[in-house]
Amino acid sequence: MTDTADLEALRREVRSFLAAEAPTGWRDASRTQDDFVRTQRDWFGKLVRAGYAIPHWPAEYPGGGRSLAEQKVIYEELAGADCPRLLLSFVSTYHAFATLHECGNAEQKARYLPKILEGETWCQGFSEPGAGSDLAAIKTRAELKGDVYVINGQKVWSTMAQFADKCLLLARTSSDGVKQAGITYLLMDMKAPGVTVRPIHQIQGDEEFAEIFLDNVEIPVSERVGEEGKGWAVAQATLASERGLTLMELSYRMRGALGRVAKLIREHGHEEDRGVLRDFGTLVTQVDAVCAIADQFLDNRINGIERMGDASIVKNAYSRALRAYSALGLRLGGMDEQYVAPITFGDLNTGNWMADFMNSYAWTIAGGSEEVQRNIIAERMLDMPREPKGWVL
Amino acid sequence: MGAVIELNELTDAAQKAFPADKLSPSRDESWQLAAEMGWLMVRLPEEDGGLGFTREASTALHLEMGRVLAAMPLIPAQLGLQAVIASEDFAERADWLERLAGGEYAPLPMLSAKLTQGSDGSISGTISGVFEADMAVAVVAQLPGGYALVPLDAPGVSLVERPIWDPSRRLFDVVLESYTPTLMLTDASGAKALHDRLSGEAQLALAADCIGAAGAALDMTIEYMKVRRQFDRPIALFQALKHRAADMKTRIVVAEALLWKRVRDESASVTELAAAKVLAAEAFRFVTEEMVQLHGGIGLTDEHPCHLFLKRALLNLQLCGNADLWNERVGREALA
Repeated sequence: MTDTADLEALRREVRSFLAAEAPTGWRDASRTQDDFVRTQRDWFGKLVRAGYAIPHWPAEYPGGGRSLAEQKVIYEELAGADCPRLLLSFVSTYHAFATLHECGNAEQKARYLPKILEGETWCQGFSEPGAGSDLAAIKTRAELKGDVYVINGQKVWSTMAQFADKCLLLARTSSDGVKQAGITYLLMDMKAPGVTVRPIHQIQGDEEFAEIFLDNVEIPVSERVGEEGKGWAVAQATLASERGLTLMELSYRMRGALGRVAKLIREHGHEEDRGVLRDFGTLVTQVDAVCAIADQFLDNRINGIERMGDASIVKNAYSRALRAYSALGLRLGGMDEQYVAPITFGDLNTGNWMADFMNSYAWTIAGGSEEVQRNIIAERMLDMPREPKGWVL
Repeated sequence: MGAVIELNELTDAAQKAFPADKLSPSRDESWQLAAEMGWLMVRLPEEDGGLGFTREASTALHLEMGRVLAAMPLIPAQLGLQAVIASEDFAERADWLERLAGGEYAPLPMLSAKLTQGSDGSISGTISGVFEADMAVAVVAQLPGGYALVPLDAPGVSLVERPIWDPSRRLFDVVLESYTPTLMLTDASGAKALHDRLSGEAQLALAADCIGAAGAALDMTIEYMKVRRQFDRPIALFQALKHRAADMKTRIVVAEALLWKRVRDESASVTELAAAKVLAAEAFRFVTEEMVQLHGGIGLTDEHPCHLFLKRALLNLQLCGNADLWNERVGREALA
């Protein structure tokens, strides 16, 4: 528990740091992938030194040991100051950290966690061409030969794998029994022989994701997290690592970016168009409500009263609002938006409305698609029956 | 923390007194029960002999009354009471507060009035949107010269019932013919402040009614989907239908989050409070439209309660300004 006075003191402290150090002009400086990566590394380094990069880590790490209420304050201020989001280091500080912290052995923790603070980045090798929503259907094989696992297969939709040093890898060590049972969790060096990374060119011109091809890649047994065949449980720790801060941060960023729609309305002379005003007002309320539900979700977590399915509601509410936001901008921008304009890497509300609109699909598809979230809401919150398993068509 | 406990106690008491399986309980019995439980006084300040609860408490009550599609007019009654509470200069304030807290009914209308003032100062025209006026002693009305209590037995005042599609409530017009007001609550200059205060409260109360009723509609729909069997399985098993139920739940939860945020935000403007009502009423409409469809043929029958929910939703959308009006205003203010 952190009392209100402490939280307000923290807020002032973060605010004064940001007043001095918050990057300006980073959107213009992120017009190419390389420039984006450079701005990300700079900003991450500054936040590590200031003690705000890893508030969710334990107190033995500098800047760690913050309560969820304190983390919320830090993220509110980062969003309010319109700082770049920490995308490049996200998998490292959340997924890799949670995996190693909860399931890794002492040697793995000592080897990898400090390096994350020095800027080592991780990617996630989970999804495959045939294993998206049905993640447990992965086919990438890991065969134990002596003291190494030999890996063959393909991973896809790995966020910024082209810049990653290490990879959280799920591979199949057995095909017996239920499909979850044969999965093993490994830590892979992205520079190991046999690893080929190919960035995925997305429809809006970004390259946020990559494919990873694995051809007889050798991973020492010492790089296994947990027991062989128990990787599915470890993967749950990875996936549960983010505790709602991202959606809260993104919601408030979208709230701030409503000004971009207002600007468009003025530029196109729609200030007295009642239909446009209604649509804008509807969007404003939708975004306000997303901020309210994201806040409520975090508050419930802080108070230990989160319910099954809550996170799915927040995600679907946010991703639909993001679609509505970018769709309204696209509509109001009219023909202008059909001419190609420079994009900004690493931002969802850039004001390049075609790019933002296309980018908004990442949020209805990635991280558990909108449809998977609906299943979770229906089955775990509304207690509706689950579909019978094992149907063969 | 004390406030949270009070709120939970109030909600628990409401659910015991008005169980979820008894929809549209008798108006007069409900009213008597509400008066006995002190609900007419929850917002009355302690120095006036009331319970002095915040607007969270009345929101919690309105939410529970929405859940059972209450016929009793707790919302207009609370708003009428607040008009009198706010009227510090009203000579008969204490007397009226005692009467209203004791169970007499002086509602605030939920629609606008069309009134003209004659050269002699008397007022003629129609005050619309008065719920359950047959049990009222007076109506709180915004007249050209300010807010007034208009006793329904005064000369020049008559009632006309306006039958509505929503069978869970009754709506009346109060018709004035050369009526001369005697019980002024404010003068013309004080009317604006009182209007803003009451209309913000009205938006929150209606939003709560919508959220409560939408939740009950969803619960009933899910229950039905679990027992209704087609193709040898409960229809709740079909993913196409489960996803619709999930969207219904999402709309309600999100609208409720905005409602509570605005209830607790003392600085929220009338427009911001109205936005919460619009979102809640649209969620309620969406849920009830789906409710009828997912019930199939039975949902079109008079004997099944689906239509009660649908009709209440569509009426709630029109009360105290509809979605078009408020969405435009939200847009205009966000542009400024």
